[in-house]
Amino acid sequence: MNIPEFSVLLIEDERDIRRFVRQALESNGCQVREAGTMAQGLSDATAHKPQLVILDLGLPDGDGVDFVQRLRSWSNIPILVLSARSTERDKIAVLDAGADDYLTKPFSVGELLARVRASLRRSRSGNMLESPLVNFGNVGVDLARHTVTKDQQPVRLTAIEFKLLSVLLANAGRVMTHRQLLRDVWGASHIESTHYLRIYVAHLRQKLEDDPTQPTHFLTEIGIGYRFQP
Amino acid sequence: MYQLKTLYSSRWTQHLFAILSCTFTTIVTQPLRELVDLANIVMLFLLTVVIVAVWLGRKPAITASLFSIALFDFFFVPPLFSFSVNDAQYLITFAVMLMVALIIGHLTIGLRQNAIEASQREQQTRALYLLAQRLAGAVTVEQAILEVQKFVSIHQQLGLRVLIPAPNEVLVTPAGIQAALSATEMLVACSVFSSNQAIELADESPATLVLPLSGVMRPRGVMLVNAELDMLHQQRALMEAVASLLATALDRLHFVDVAEQNRMQIQAERLRSSILAALSHDVRTPLTVLYGLADTLTLPQQNFPESARETACAIRDQAIRLNNMVNNLLDMARLHAGQVQLRKEWQPIEEVIGASIKLSGADLQCHAVKVHLADGLPLVEFDAVLLERVFCNLLENAAKYSPPNTDIELSVSSDGTEAVITVCNAGEGFPKDKLMQVFEPFERGNAKSNVRGAGMGLAICRAVVEAHGGKIAASNPAGGGACIRFTLPLGEPPDIEPEKEGEA
Repeated sequence: MNIPEFSVLLIEDERDIRRFVRQALESNGCQVREAGTMAQGLSDATAHKPQLVILDLGLPDGDGVDFVQRLRSWSNIPILVLSARSTERDKIAVLDAGADDYLTKPFSVGELLARVRASLRRSRSGNMLESPLVNFGNVGVDLARHTVTKDQQPVRLTAIEFKLLSVLLANAGRVMTHRQLLRDVWGASHIESTHYLRIYVAHLRQKLEDDPTQPTHFLTEIGIGYRFQP
Repeated sequence: MYQLKTLYSSRWTQHLFAILSCTFTTIVTQPLRELVDLANIVMLFLLTVVIVAVWLGRKPAITASLFSIALFDFFFVPPLFSFSVNDAQYLITFAVMLMVALIIGHLTIGLRQNAIEASQREQQTRALYLLAQRLAGAVTVEQAILEVQKFVSIHQQLGLRVLIPAPNEVLVTPAGIQAALSATEMLVACSVFSSNQAIELADESPATLVLPLSGVMRPRGVMLVNAELDMLHQQRALMEAVASLLATALDRLHFVDVAEQNRMQIQAERLRSSILAALSHDVRTPLTVLYGLADTLTLPQQNFPESARETACAIRDQAIRLNNMVNNLLDMARLHAGQVQLRKEWQPIEEVIGASIKLSGADLQCHAVKVHLADGLPLVEFDAVLLERVFCNLLENAAKYSPPNTDIELSVSSDGTEAVITVCNAGEGFPKDKLMQVFEPFERGNAKSNVRGAGMGLAICRAVVEAHGGKIAASNPAGGGACIRFTLPLGEPPDIEPEKEGEA
């Protein structure tokens, strides 16, 4: 499955990582431009306006959050972040700043391509759902009429549960941090009440997942947030 | 000057001087007898007595006054050259002379005593100041104690010993300093050390004064001073001052030591964390490259023969294993160094279980995980990232040590005070004699087993569970298999305002 002609800016200081990422993307039909430093990456992003930016968080010359904020000041280009493990705090910071997704090193080429495709899909649709009718698994959601069915049986959701579901659906495939979800669903004054969010996600799983203990759609990104996987 | 002083110091020569002075006055005044009134002559004798009193003290002054009376009577009071007195009023003169001599002598002595004491005090103060200066320069406990011993032996001819507590709180003589103690002295020293109150051993000869060296936070040792009892009483204030100086010096040395230790510890800590940071970055980068390149080779687009693809797969799998091992080692190092700050949050435990099962997907290919949750489990406060490590390690272990296509049972219940989590497999179970050791780092249930692993997993589990205030144990249930059971304390979860139920 080829990714249609698509330009990617890869900002990574390690030459060999650039090599295999480039190889994987090019063999799937992407155009890849490489940058070894954050400064060069920022100027390349301005000059060439790629359709996706892949950014390594461990660059020696800069701070990922700063990069994302500066890019976001004029562009909605999807940003996929590459990061080491045990740096949850950094990941949350760049995601909150506006990065779309992250991959933990080491990552497989398959994972990388899947994330790139998902980003592409989202940027094509402009983060808007194409239709008010969304189906995933055996669940059907009508966002316009506020109805949800599972196995053709209606499911009752509370107002907050439905709001949370619609935010997750609108950001399908994307990592949403606790902060972002709390802000979008409960409002800015509730961004510290993560236990509310966790409980409502648990409700959604109980009502919509086949096995709530091993969810396949409402996925937990431990320490960071949630991702809805259609 | 010095010789003169010793001359004066002999009692008889003092009296001789007194007599000579009076004789000299008599000789000088003899020619004036006709010219001057007797009352003025008395004045000259009184002057002599005063001079003797000032110069030589009370007893020579009494001698001088008695002798002056005798000479005055003999040579000046009529009848001349006889001790008989014509006029009884001269008896008053004699009495006054004697009284004046006594009073002046007494006052003089007081003054002299004060002067001597003042100069002694001044000397002591200067000596103490010097001692304080030397103690301030001391860099070891031994040096400080030697300074004090030197001071005491030079200035006071007293015996002085010092005991300081060893790390195990037993009083010992510091290394390199000679001091023998009797059993009684040792007992008393211990009691002074624990009570921080001075004790005097007056029964023995020489007597011993045992003083505590009271530091700011705690006693720093004991000082024993030997001398004759009255000497000891005389010098007690000085010895107390010396003890407090020494205690201050020992305090200072102690805190210097503590500061130095802290500095070293901070340096070691800094080194360790920079090594950890370097390792986690420098090892992971080549691993990422290795894994990514090998993974690229396994992609179907690369038209490689099957054997080459298998080789690439093997390289990729080894790289990911190496990565897991590095992760475990780094986690272990961080947990052991106490560097991990728990980011505890209230959350449902099933969430981290679900995420862990998904993350361990590759290891669980041949096993189904059956999750049993008790009804109404409360929220638990824990660090989700660390607990995910625990579950991943437990699931990975459970899969590794059980035959393919058997289930792994994961159950969670609550007994009101703690959440109890068990992970069981259908494997052979742990060796019976190693149920405790399996949680030690680098320990594996069966050393000869062909299952691969460095034996870090369970050690990390224990470190994380214990950091959360829980307990972890391994067991072999009667029905077969192996179980790990751990607990997490339940607290008071935050209130959740119920949402008004209604159709959305």
